[in-house]
Amino acid sequence: MSRYLVKIDDNEYDIDLAYRADGYSVTVDGATVRVTSHRLGETRSVLLVEDRSFEVDVRSNGLADSRTVFMLGVEIPVEIEEYQLAQLRKTAGMKSGPSLKKKLTAPMPGLILEVKVAPGDKVSKGQPLIVIEAMKMENVIKAPADAVVKSVDVSKGASVEKGDQMLEFE
Amino acid sequence: MGTKIRKILIANRGEIAVRIIRACRDLGIDAVAVYSDCDKTAYHVRLADEAYHIGPSPSAESYLVHDKIIDAAKRSGADAIHPGYGFLAENAAFAQRCTDEGIMFIGPTPETITLLGDKLQARAAALEADLPVVPGETLDGDNLKATLVKADRIGFPVLIKAAAGGGGKGMRVVHKPEDFEEALERASSEATSAFGDGRVYIEKYLDRPRHIEIQILCDQHGNAIHLNERECSIQRRHQKVIEESPSPVMTPELRHTMGEAAISIAKKTGYVGAGTVEFMVAQDLSFYFLEVNTRLQVEHPVTEMVTGVDLVKEQIAVAQGEPLHYRQEDIKLDGHAIECRIYAEDPQQGFTPSTGTLKNYRIPAGPGVRVDSGVVIYNEIPIFYDPMIAKLVVWGSDRTEAINRTRRALQEYRVAGLKTTIGFHLAVLDNARFIAGDLSTSFLPDEFPDNNYSFLTDDIRRCAAIAAALDKFSHERKIALSSRSAGKIESSGWAAHHRRENLRWFGGSR
Repeated sequence: MSRYLVKIDDNEYDIDLAYRADGYSVTVDGATVRVTSHRLGETRSVLLVEDRSFEVDVRSNGLADSRTVFMLGVEIPVEIEEYQLAQLRKTAGMKSGPSLKKKLTAPMPGLILEVKVAPGDKVSKGQPLIVIEAMKMENVIKAPADAVVKSVDVSKGASVEKGDQMLEFE
Repeated sequence: MGTKIRKILIANRGEIAVRIIRACRDLGIDAVAVYSDCDKTAYHVRLADEAYHIGPSPSAESYLVHDKIIDAAKRSGADAIHPGYGFLAENAAFAQRCTDEGIMFIGPTPETITLLGDKLQARAAALEADLPVVPGETLDGDNLKATLVKADRIGFPVLIKAAAGGGGKGMRVVHKPEDFEEALERASSEATSAFGDGRVYIEKYLDRPRHIEIQILCDQHGNAIHLNERECSIQRRHQKVIEESPSPVMTPELRHTMGEAAISIAKKTGYVGAGTVEFMVAQDLSFYFLEVNTRLQVEHPVTEMVTGVDLVKEQIAVAQGEPLHYRQEDIKLDGHAIECRIYAEDPQQGFTPSTGTLKNYRIPAGPGVRVDSGVVIYNEIPIFYDPMIAKLVVWGSDRTEAINRTRRALQEYRVAGLKTTIGFHLAVLDNARFIAGDLSTSFLPDEFPDNNYSFLTDDIRRCAAIAAALDKFSHERKIALSSRSAGKIESSGWAAHHRRENLRWFGGSR
């Protein structure tokens, strides 16, 4: 038996799971839910929840605490934790997920067209820092807050992948 | 004139290359594809009769290089080139080069492309043809101060547009004089890199206008007809994302007036082939000429669905010198069609591109559904080109049926591996103003100011939560079983695994 705290957008679900001879025993927020799941392959299955049927494709991307659920044509990001652990974390007053970083990462893959700041520069909120061309559009990356630039990790003409560090603040 | 085309080279990629290959097949014409490095296994290459490599992935080194396209056309023995949209579609120099090399260019003459491609000249032509235009000013290399005076004369908000532009590139709305300089710089720089021409001009920005365009078709014998309107008001970053025909606001009288206006500028400029005359329509239904797109439009299928005319086949027929197959009175308007552009983008993050590999891709089907896809499963979506992967085009007997069907079709889509605009479309289709047909080009920022396009109900969220929990549960069980069978002393392998995970997690976030 396993108990999880599952988060989608701002909604939390307390889900209890156990194997039974004929499938799973599932409770969501304390209420029993009839669930049947038939595997279609590595990631896909047909899921019946109280007779409502869905084709779902669940991918972990190698992460233990998150899943991406594709259903009804859309992608739903899901955070999932051991329930006990989530309670501990909450008691300790910790937020889930990574804390706000001083690192500025590329919001999209693309080519660096312009770097408008250098290490040591004082920047104010909203000031243009870097211009990225992605899929033919120029996107101006602006300072998220007043800050001092510590290092610049990209230069004009470089190509970046989504999530690559471009700049660090003091 | 009058030469039968036997082989067409398609100077494009993605869904539009596929669309044109299909038309060639329908006509018994051979289709030749061209491809860059990253398009080696692209869908259009797989479908074509022949395919020619034209260089590295960046379009400036492949799809935009005149010499390479002409060389491929000659090697393949193609007698015509279809440019699709984007890339070389509105490039007069390329159209001229084709003519000089004795290859038919499927589109208007280089002279017409030059005239209408320059927004300033096009505006002058529209005035000559008695079309109403939006108040605006040219900039002619003015300094910033003189430019600001002109912007003030028109009155903020103003729109900065690239003289050679299209597709929202080099375009900026400026609400306040203090934002003008940066916007001008960006627009001009974008225009330079996209079109090799940094000239911009400014126009009065109309409040909540609709974008309505008229499809035209003209032959080499002076015949010109229009094929009704398309409403393309749902836009993000000045790019259309949902289009429909007819417009929910259109009356037969207004359609006639706008159609006549479109035909009149076509005749004035000697237009040949398929084209689109774009208008802005104010809340009081007064309309203003915007520009003429001298190419096949992305959204042409909505017109095909309600008129039954195959626009690509007509383009080819016109290029061969045939007279139009339709007279104005033959053009019908049957039912209602809606197109949703499916982009590899994350709508929740301001439509930032989402690249990667399509790990699953299954398209909708059934009555009234047409999908023009440029991709198939396991295709990679490269960063070099427009991120549109497909167009979902749906027909219904009326607008309500079309909306319901579009919603149904969107939910039949199965895409994994990338973020797409499918959920965004579902959110828009559920919006009360959209359902009422109360549209404007500021619809998205007005109705979805914080980019929250979630259409999920709590019920669906709960089911997704169950699916995720089941996946984690069975994954952990698998780990437990495999570590046990590997003879570990640990009584519960997955418990140990997760103890490790948790330690790492706590350590990392401190």
